[in-house]
Amino acid sequence: MDRELIYVLGRDECPSTFKLASGQRLKATLLAPRGVSGSFDICIELCGEGAELDLAGIYLCEGEQKVDFRINVRHLVGNCKSTQLFKGLADGKSRLSFDGLVYVAAGAQKTQALQENHSLLLSGDALVQSSPQLEIYADDVVCSHGSTIGSLSEEEQFYMRSRGIDEATARELQIRSFLSPVLERLGEEDLRFIL
Amino acid sequence: MSEVLLDIKGLKACVEGKEILHGVDLCIREGEVHAIMGPNGAGKSTLGAVLTGKPGYEVTEGSVLFRGQDLLSLSPEQRAWLGLFLSFQYPIEIPGVSLVNFMKAALASKRKAQGLPELSPAEFLKLLKEKMALVQMRPDLAKRDVNVGFSGGEKKRCEIFQMAMLEPVLSILDETDSGLDVDALKIVAGGVNTLRSPQNASIIITHYHKLLEYIVPDVVHVLKNGVIVKTAGRELVSQIEASGFEGIDG
Repeated sequence: MDRELIYVLGRDECPSTFKLASGQRLKATLLAPRGVSGSFDICIELCGEGAELDLAGIYLCEGEQKVDFRINVRHLVGNCKSTQLFKGLADGKSRLSFDGLVYVAAGAQKTQALQENHSLLLSGDALVQSSPQLEIYADDVVCSHGSTIGSLSEEEQFYMRSRGIDEATARELQIRSFLSPVLERLGEEDLRFIL
Repeated sequence: MSEVLLDIKGLKACVEGKEILHGVDLCIREGEVHAIMGPNGAGKSTLGAVLTGKPGYEVTEGSVLFRGQDLLSLSPEQRAWLGLFLSFQYPIEIPGVSLVNFMKAALASKRKAQGLPELSPAEFLKLLKEKMALVQMRPDLAKRDVNVGFSGGEKKRCEIFQMAMLEPVLSILDETDSGLDVDALKIVAGGVNTLRSPQNASIIITHYHKLLEYIVPDVVHVLKNGVIVKTAGRELVSQIEASGFEGIDG
């Protein structure tokens, strides 16, 4: 059975554990909207062969906001697939931490696991801490993780402004394009809610 | 006599604390095409960057009036709204923003600033198609991300396409000929010539005479070591072609 879930911090109760049985597929998106502090503390176990997880998240941190993601994806059996993409912004004096663990049990062969976390730091006073981790006890797996923390490209901004796009709109375009791989997952209502 | 569009007096500018322009004077009137020639490192691109307000370029002395306004006190977008345009030597790629959305945003901002109503989607698309055709750009490039994966020639054509969309009063073409083969050069020059009118003007920055065979300038300046050392008519181009920049000093 396929499930598609969206959890918004401060609005929805997000379960702490998900277990995916054989052939089950879960698509979940975690949203941390502007101004809402809190944490997502989630453990997802892939317990049956052929299970698939497609997990993504967006965080829009500003002011004194503090958001923590603690994501534990556990491949307990082989032939499962998990992808994770977390993207977001840290502005003002906000704090964002992302702790992501991908665990692959001994014998969970043919596991495919991908984990990415990319942040834009919009203020010198904001702080982003990202620690993606892999813990792998099987030898025939494809696993990767990546993490970047960057700022808005000044070159892009000047190019846009030289064409008459005002500074605020230029920033908005850059931010939208950065977040678009995750924004694409949302329906209109959630999109309006988060932006 | 036609009106003065741009009046630069004693312009000195620094990049990272190092003075690049040591006092540039330049006056451009409506309807004129000026070429600024000079060897690499003379300060040609710096002049373009200073005029369009690129961050990191500091003006230490002098003044620039554009259509009677103090250009240097304006933001890059305000300068664009007044009708200034720079064709970049190295156009910037913007992943995630399609060319059509980019131009929509640019036109909407400009029209808003000018107190004009937004174009309808149909009007906008008609304009887009018309201007892309002017520089023979493949229509599918409009849907692609700005300059991402464009060839060198496509990027330069895309600059002139943007210029055509924005209908600037003063266009600065910074080394638009670099990296272009003869066919692309003709297309780009053709686009620029079509946009010439008695009301607007252009500055063609180049270190090479080729483009000036197709876009014929009214006035030619030689910029060397941060100052304009010679100003003359178009005959100066052939003199430079024959003897290089070495022999030209005031």
